[in-house]
Amino acid sequence: MLSREPAGRTLPTLITLLVVGVLLMTFDVRSQGAGVVGILRTGTQSLVAPLQKGAAFVVRPVVDLVDSLTNVASLREENLALRAELIELRAELNAMQDLEVRLEFFEQIYEMEAAGSQIGRTVANVIGRPDGLEDSLIIDKGTDHGIAVGQPVVDSNGFVVGSVTTVTSGSATVVPITSKRQGLTVIVGDQEGSLISQPGSELMRLEVYSARGPVLAEERVLTSAGSLSFPAGWPIGVVVEDAAPVVDVVTTTVQPFVNPKTLRLVVVLAWPPDPITAVATTTTTTSSTTTVPGSTTTTGGGG
Amino acid sequence: MRFPKGLMVGTLLLLAIVVQTTLFGQIRVVVPDLVMLVVILLALTRIRPELVLLVAFLSGLVVDLLGSSLVGLRAVVFTTVAYVAIRTRSRAEIGRFATAIWAGLLTFGGLVLTVVIGTLFGQTSLIGPDIGSRLALVPLANLILAGLFSPLMTRLIDRDTGLFRYT
Repeated sequence: MLSREPAGRTLPTLITLLVVGVLLMTFDVRSQGAGVVGILRTGTQSLVAPLQKGAAFVVRPVVDLVDSLTNVASLREENLALRAELIELRAELNAMQDLEVRLEFFEQIYEMEAAGSQIGRTVANVIGRPDGLEDSLIIDKGTDHGIAVGQPVVDSNGFVVGSVTTVTSGSATVVPITSKRQGLTVIVGDQEGSLISQPGSELMRLEVYSARGPVLAEERVLTSAGSLSFPAGWPIGVVVEDAAPVVDVVTTTVQPFVNPKTLRLVVVLAWPPDPITAVATTTTTTSSTTTVPGSTTTTGGGG
Repeated sequence: MRFPKGLMVGTLLLLAIVVQTTLFGQIRVVVPDLVMLVVILLALTRIRPELVLLVAFLSGLVVDLLGSSLVGLRAVVFTTVAYVAIRTRSRAEIGRFATAIWAGLLTFGGLVLTVVIGTLFGQTSLIGPDIGSRLALVPLANLILAGLFSPLMTRLIDRDTGLFRYT
């Protein structure tokens, strides 16, 4: 057996550290992540972010290889499905282009202009996750690229992912809506409700108060104009099963479109738009395209 | 040139944190908890037990600060796991297989403790849809890694090539 120093003061040390730990947890709960804890978090992330970025660059080929190997069985079927979807989407795109031309024509006739609903977008790579139990995402863009705490995040298809919780100069942490305890105000059909995550399930619970009618399966759930954290009209998921009002409340489950575990690329929306974020977003365009290949910051219309 | 022991442990933990958050943060098939594993294996070295507890606490705190969950949660869990590891390390020294099982069991205990304490403090998001598979796969991955690398890590930190030869 290996000879070591006696463990005489181990128990007092353990008790001291546990007390400090519990105090820290209580303090974090009470301050809701703000104050000293927030500063500590930002400081630590700022220190480790450059290492994470470097490591993410190095390990990307390994991750791609493992992903390809695990998905090889379903690739053929997925390719066929994607080809069919591509044909449908091309047809849809043509129809949309016709509509766009007609819209421009009518706008010219009536001398109308866009009402300033432009939302800045910053494309960011997912460079990691804190650990196996957390669904949070670490992205490679931060305040230097115009990203701020609270900004909404969508995936490359425009499906809602979550929002930015902490940000450093070169990185940010995104918490998906499926991990948040707070409800999200949403629209289903013409009814407004609240979408809440459920522990132990990938489905979310939808509650519609003052319901005027049933909620049907396959109905799309969108962000509502009543939401304080997301712009209106961005798709979140689909209703899983029909639900009729009980008294005047409808409760059902929703399957989100996005699985945060599979994300490799996200888009951070500069919302709500204000002069500060607008300036930051304009500045970002140059730095993003020059420093990180394959990622750009563009400005486009919001959903 | 010989590295000081503290620098060696610090570098090892930093490496574990970076690899954990980047490589294993993106591969969904194999997900060990590298930081917890390093903390567990530190109990096998000649480092003073009080220092092992302190290192466990600080590394847990760093993992907490890098994530979005409660600050102090993993610090408490890693410290507790390190304490149990120190108290039971004599059982792990029998052989490589025993070390692996010991590390796997401690990881499982650590994960359960994370979920329990996290839930008590309102961190319900820790109980994701795949919590069952995580509770099985993470300890299994740590078990395999401990079996493979524990003698090497102990020899490296204690600078004693004769350690854990399991003759």
